[in-house]
Amino acid sequence: MDPPPNPNPNATDAQPQAEAGVRLAALSLRGGRDLPPDFEIHEHHLDDDDDDDDDDEGYLTAASRGGSSTCAWKGLRDDDRDGDGDDVSPPSPSSSGYAGERGSSLDDDPDPEPAQDWPRNKKHLDEDDASSSWRKRKKHFFILSNSGKPIYSRYGDEHKLAGFSATLQAIISFVENSGDHIKFVRSGKHQIVFLVKGPIYLVCISCTEESYEGLRGQLELMYGQLLLILTKSVNRCFEKNPKFDMAPLLGGTDAVFLSLIHAFSWNPAAFLHAYTCLPLAQPTRQAASAVLQDVADSGVLFALLMCEHKVISLVGAQKATLHPDDILLLANFILSSESFRTSESFSPICLPRYNPMAFLYAYVHFFDEHTYVTLLTTRSDAFYDLKDSRSLIQNVLLKSNVLIEVQRSLHESALHVEDLPIDPSSQSASQPPQSSQDMSSQSLSSEMAIGGPAGLWHFIYKSIYLDQYVSSEFPSSISNQKQQKRLYKAYQKLYASMHDKATGPHKTQFKRDDDYVLFCWITQDFELYAAFNPLADKTQAIKMCNRVCQWVRDLENEIFVYGESALSWQYHHCWGGK
Amino acid sequence: MGLSAAAAGDGAQLCVFDLRRGQQEGQELDKILFFHPADCPILLQLSVIGLCEGIVTFTRIFSPEEDCEVIESEKRSQVFYQAEPDIWMVLVVEKTKDNVSTWRFGALQGILKEAHSLFTMFHGPIRTLLDRQPSAELARGHLRTFLTDYLSDFHVGKKLQFPTYRDSLKERGTIQMLTVPREVALEVQSLTTVLGSCLGSVTCQSLVLFEDLLVSTTLPPDDTLNLYTYAVLRLTPRALSSNASSWSYLRKGTSVNAGPTSSSSNGTTAGERYHSRSRDTSPDGQNQMHHNFRPLLREKFSKGKDGFVAPDFAATEVRGAVPLTPILWFQQAEERMYLCIYQHKSLTILLLIPASSLINGEEGIAHVKKQMLENASQKIVTVEQKLTRGWGGENAYHVSGYRYLLVDPDRRVSRASPPGKVTTLAKDSLLALNRLRQEVDLEKSRYRRSDPCHDKDFEVCIRTKNNAWVIAKITRGRELYMALEKGGETLLYASTAVEKFSNRYCEGAFSTD
Repeated sequence: MDPPPNPNPNATDAQPQAEAGVRLAALSLRGGRDLPPDFEIHEHHLDDDDDDDDDDEGYLTAASRGGSSTCAWKGLRDDDRDGDGDDVSPPSPSSSGYAGERGSSLDDDPDPEPAQDWPRNKKHLDEDDASSSWRKRKKHFFILSNSGKPIYSRYGDEHKLAGFSATLQAIISFVENSGDHIKFVRSGKHQIVFLVKGPIYLVCISCTEESYEGLRGQLELMYGQLLLILTKSVNRCFEKNPKFDMAPLLGGTDAVFLSLIHAFSWNPAAFLHAYTCLPLAQPTRQAASAVLQDVADSGVLFALLMCEHKVISLVGAQKATLHPDDILLLANFILSSESFRTSESFSPICLPRYNPMAFLYAYVHFFDEHTYVTLLTTRSDAFYDLKDSRSLIQNVLLKSNVLIEVQRSLHESALHVEDLPIDPSSQSASQPPQSSQDMSSQSLSSEMAIGGPAGLWHFIYKSIYLDQYVSSEFPSSISNQKQQKRLYKAYQKLYASMHDKATGPHKTQFKRDDDYVLFCWITQDFELYAAFNPLADKTQAIKMCNRVCQWVRDLENEIFVYGESALSWQYHHCWGGK
Repeated sequence: MGLSAAAAGDGAQLCVFDLRRGQQEGQELDKILFFHPADCPILLQLSVIGLCEGIVTFTRIFSPEEDCEVIESEKRSQVFYQAEPDIWMVLVVEKTKDNVSTWRFGALQGILKEAHSLFTMFHGPIRTLLDRQPSAELARGHLRTFLTDYLSDFHVGKKLQFPTYRDSLKERGTIQMLTVPREVALEVQSLTTVLGSCLGSVTCQSLVLFEDLLVSTTLPPDDTLNLYTYAVLRLTPRALSSNASSWSYLRKGTSVNAGPTSSSSNGTTAGERYHSRSRDTSPDGQNQMHHNFRPLLREKFSKGKDGFVAPDFAATEVRGAVPLTPILWFQQAEERMYLCIYQHKSLTILLLIPASSLINGEEGIAHVKKQMLENASQKIVTVEQKLTRGWGGENAYHVSGYRYLLVDPDRRVSRASPPGKVTTLAKDSLLALNRLRQEVDLEKSRYRRSDPCHDKDFEVCIRTKNNAWVIAKITRGRELYMALEKGGETLLYASTAVEKFSNRYCEGAFSTD
């Protein structure tokens, strides 16, 4: 589940810049009310500082920032094609990560050329609801206004989909007018899920066999992403003018939504409502946390140090807590907008779970290709202060080798089920650990599929009090994206089943089908989701689950963030303040 | 449009509409073939059907080959069933604070399927009725009386109450069989042979029931299911004597308001009788029956002195009329047959005489009945005695410690814990089981779509928040659902319990080894 290094192709550097410009210009259309009065000045500074930083940071080279990769290119294509289904996916272990949707090389045309204007190809702008190819897409996402104006469509040109959008609006409004709210429609393998958020309607049309709860959660995140860009105060525009055309406000943010939609098929944070951390030795993380804490004490609301989607350290001002969904959306926004990578940025963003009505200001700086700091403040004039804070952080991180450790962890520290410690009392039940480097392709149904002991293939462990999860790497038996996505969806369903509103949460679930044995165990402290070979023995599987829990506890200092942050009280509550 | 459906008094609506009708603007009303409640304002009826039609059309954009199944909103669930091409049945159930998430779409759709199957058995396909009389008066008349009578079984007080989570250990559309020892089985077989030869050269078909359980059948599975369903609804001794819904026990002892309310509410006269039937042997010949033919009108059945159960539609209503034997259309057997019902104590025999072989109508039937009494009486008495002797009562299939449902979809057979025992389960256990069944229904349809030819094995064990185990296991197409409340905490306990049950009661069908 760990994203590989992002190739970050340079070919389209100009494009993201332009996009960002469009987006910001669009934001400015909304007038001064929601924007910092000196916003554009900041933009100016932003450019100035860029050069300085490049000089400061010897390690940030053009090579480390960019460079297209054929391998990743192929992976991206695979990924996109079966982004919502299981139709096409040649093995491409190198493409499992986030790079997929961010990249400028996304395309799922049968014979793609590295397109100049990738968003156009990605969206298949030539398609509309009359195209059979459009109708066959496995998962559509639409955002529209309650007057039927299209705001966003994953596929096709929004303008051409005006008629379709009006139909969706008619269906939703018809039910709304009877004092009811439509939730979903099911027709064979297709499911149409609706979410009404005031004047904004969100619709997902999917034949991916995901649960209603899962798809609805995804629409909630789509809405959250929209709020992150615009805040909920955009509703006022609809109050003033019901026919308000919102689409221009989101101009240039296609990549953000595409990246989020991609996350729905690989990032467990999207359904677990928890974030994951980059494994690090405790002293290393403490060094990072200490400097973030210093910064937070000087008026920053939240300070996050992240590596791709993984948190290295997270510090909040007193009493302020960051919801895992906000972390997901914030990271997605930053990682999918190329402009953040290429320059020191100061941008208004909204954290929908923290306060959906107001903008915060995010200072974002990438220390290297993967690692970035985000400082959030309520002050629109804090750019220089935050720039100074960033310098401080950067110095400490360099001096204490944190960034080097981060790089090392990114490539080495993942959990492999093959490394699950053998219980001395039941050695006979365990197969010898396999090398985690052995990535030979194995069929999912193969009895000989390599994994951990007792047929353990994969697990996700969520600490309830920490709102954090840790997941193992995929073993060679689940090496290609198709298999990984299938498992992801199986977990998603298991999660929905365990957390059913009317009957859940259940305590345990054991599920066996042709693909897996799945096991879920929910206690007050944690949730464990584990996947085994479909022929796995029940008794042994239970033993392995216990062993995984013990293993995670043994490693908790390295794999979770706790103690130093504002969330420390939760840690103490959970683990007794060890 | 967009009217509140709250106007529908009993919180549920059932409509049948034909998308081929009322194509012109202003003629939308012509689409509607049936709407319950009948006093629902026309605008509201049109609103419900308008939404349904809109959604059916919309979903076809993405899945032209598949039918729309359900619209779920916060206040109601609308379950669809395309009974015949372009003829849709939709059941709308209103949610209340007490019943949110308590029903299963598959169970609700089962009601529509059952209603349509029974309707077709008595009246033939709806499309045939419409073709025969394009004004649709005939079809509407039959649907009105038939579905109103059918729905009367779901009336609790003034409201319709459909199966909920409490019925998660039931499977509509299946037959409950009586297990008989070998020597009794031989007796039954012998009886069936005698019944088959009542007409002489042409073989009669038969169903034999003991109480509400099927003992034997000579019909194909679908036809057996339809006739069995009808028998349990209206013809078995319990159905006749209680004059109550056969599903009343599902409602935890709630008293059931029987037919009169519904039949009088729709204002039809009670002049039910068979119109003189033609000797038409086409499948839809029975369509010529009088439109007031009401096979589901409960109080119209009584057992005569000769042991035959007569649908005495005529005797009390129309002076001088003679009760006539109903003709049923068996789709799978592709044959119209007269239905004669004979009852001896707990034994009910449904004798089916091919209509094409009987040239002299009621006289011929009387002859067959006479033949049957002469040839089979003694065997009937013997079989009844032996079955009664071996019968364990209503808790015969109770297995201590288990609450279960076994389904064999291929054979359309199920067996379940006695309803009285199921009611001892906690609400949380039943809700969890109901939810699990909903998940399994989705998995099953997913499997069917991906590979219709092969059954997929599947197993789920859930430890619920109230510490019960709810279990679903599908092996080689057979399904086992179970709730275990008392017992061990571990998954291994639950697995062992299933294993034991499978070995003892299912010939190891669900065993791991």
